[in-house]
Amino acid sequence: MKRLLATIAALAVGATMLMGAAQAQDKKYTIALIPGLTTDAFYISMHKGAQAAADALGVNLVFQGAPDFNPVTQTPVLDAVIARKPDAILIAPTDKVQLVQPLKKAADAGIPVITVDTFIGTGKYQTGAGDADFPFSYIASDNVLGGRIAARALAKAIGEKGKVYVSNVKPGISTTDQREEGFKDEMKNYPNITVLETQFNDDDANKAASQFQAVFARNSDLDGVFGANLFSALGAANGVQQAGQSGKVRVAAFDAPASIVANIKSGLVDLAIAQHPSEIGYFGVVAAYAHLTGQSIPTSIGTGFTVMDKSNVDQPEVARFIYKE
Amino acid sequence: MSSAQSSLSQPVQPANPGPNVWLVRIAQLRAWLFLCLLLIFFETWARYQYGATFLFSTFNIQSVTVYAVAPLLLALGSTFVIISGGIDLSIGFIMGLSAVVSAHAINMASGYLPPFPAMLAGIVAGVAIAVIPGYVNGLLISKLRVPPFIGTLGMFGVARGVAFLLAGGTTVPVANDWFAALGNGRFFGFPNVVIVTILFLILMHYLLSQTRFGQHTYAIGASEQAALRAGINVSWHMQKLYVLSAVCAGIGGVLYAARYTAGAAQAGEPLLLDSIAAVVIGGASLFGGSGSISGTVAGALVIAVIQYGLVFINVEPFWQFVSVGVVIIISVLVDQAQRSIGGGRR
Repeated sequence: MKRLLATIAALAVGATMLMGAAQAQDKKYTIALIPGLTTDAFYISMHKGAQAAADALGVNLVFQGAPDFNPVTQTPVLDAVIARKPDAILIAPTDKVQLVQPLKKAADAGIPVITVDTFIGTGKYQTGAGDADFPFSYIASDNVLGGRIAARALAKAIGEKGKVYVSNVKPGISTTDQREEGFKDEMKNYPNITVLETQFNDDDANKAASQFQAVFARNSDLDGVFGANLFSALGAANGVQQAGQSGKVRVAAFDAPASIVANIKSGLVDLAIAQHPSEIGYFGVVAAYAHLTGQSIPTSIGTGFTVMDKSNVDQPEVARFIYKE
Repeated sequence: MSSAQSSLSQPVQPANPGPNVWLVRIAQLRAWLFLCLLLIFFETWARYQYGATFLFSTFNIQSVTVYAVAPLLLALGSTFVIISGGIDLSIGFIMGLSAVVSAHAINMASGYLPPFPAMLAGIVAGVAIAVIPGYVNGLLISKLRVPPFIGTLGMFGVARGVAFLLAGGTTVPVANDWFAALGNGRFFGFPNVVIVTILFLILMHYLLSQTRFGQHTYAIGASEQAALRAGINVSWHMQKLYVLSAVCAGIGGVLYAARYTAGAAQAGEPLLLDSIAAVVIGGASLFGGSGSISGTVAGALVIAVIQYGLVFINVEPFWQFVSVGVVIIISVLVDQAQRSIGGGRR
């Protein structure tokens, strides 16, 4: 009887251990992706890429964000996500500085943080310098490079001479700041091109259009404009149209959602620099998974760009970079 | 406007004789005065600094008026609501909702109809959809006694969410040549959107200043109790006011989609505060009972001229915020002064 009990006990213990082991193997990692805003084709494409990687790796992906690109609305979402204790957080921080402390809470709770698209601090992580180096990796298009590519493409379109300006959202957003920086820096290589003062439109197409017209009214020899994001480009393109300058003043857009592509086809926008957001999402999840399973990951991963214009936008190898809905 | 307003808001006080009458007149025209001062300022600066003209350029005038169209359409509806003592915060996203719905409707109708009727279907759908949130706003405020600020703030969220859901989180491109021509074409040199807006604002001016509907709006704003005792069906009137406000936003949304050949849910988001500022600069009081369409038009032009002009004369962009803010504050101060001079109390 005693032996029987002992056997049962041993079996029970063994079974429990086995079950425990089985559970450990079945443990699905949960990775949270917090976009800069939920209502944007760029982040929707990023979500699709992240989901593809999550399905491939058997990871549970949570997608939660705020409806607008603003630290005030993003922080509570982040807090709520931290409270659910995911295994890793992928986030596109909406401010270089204001998101540092909120993200530190995640790091302090032992949740690894990886930033996608935008960054905190300097974007150089794991250096031991500053208080914002704790994320493990920064995965994004190199926006400075994107700005440079835009400058080269626009310079080519205007015959490497004339006046251009940047239509931008507002200062303080890491990505759009970098695009402007890269654009202006690259334009220094074209001595016959003058870059006028940047106009900030607060993400309002109406304002961007009116600003184009005001700049054009003062500079009738304007040759090109670089719209550093969707509404900057849509507005500038409309300003060009209202001023009757379609085909004369060239418009370069950053990002490639369907509305920009429609404008490329109708000739209102001359070219667009498409990022590869689904690539960012895919590699974000892969990097988080690698880190969770004990692999080391690079502190920064750069993803690519595609330049779209009327001549190539219908080709499948280019059209696949149009942002998904 | 002034006769209806003064007779209803100050029923016991006799008209103030003497020079004060003129001061009051001037105060009522303050938005137009502001506009003149601004134009003189920009003209002087442009001539002195660049040897260019600001005011006598058709291009500048067209640009400013096209810019003013979107905030003005929102502001026209808001003028009625603010005169009645209410506020409508949901119009920005109702505008976005209408922009998205009209873009979708045109794309869908294009499968069955030729381009022109497809465009008409889109316009009707865009404006009609606005009636729903407007009606619910009115219901909340008039029947369920929800304060307008809260009721329309709730609708702000609902309209925003629905618009983004319908848009799939992005902008909805629309391909229709008639629609694009409505948004960007010209008729004898006048941009079509400006012509549509002028026709609409004349209608709104008539509605507010010449009809019983307008008089009742002032009466309710001056004193809801008095309006009730005078036999006005206040609750039904409020219902109509919020539908009117939403329809104005709906027209704004349709014109936005036509202009950018894309519907965007966030189309009106940055315009809400500008449109309320236009109404206030135009002489309306947020306490209700005063305001006019002509003032609102001037208010919207003041904002457009500041924002366009500062870019034109190449001033640091952030001064735009400062200057619009300063104009609002001055405007309210003048309003206060007018009330004390005119002897009106609220």
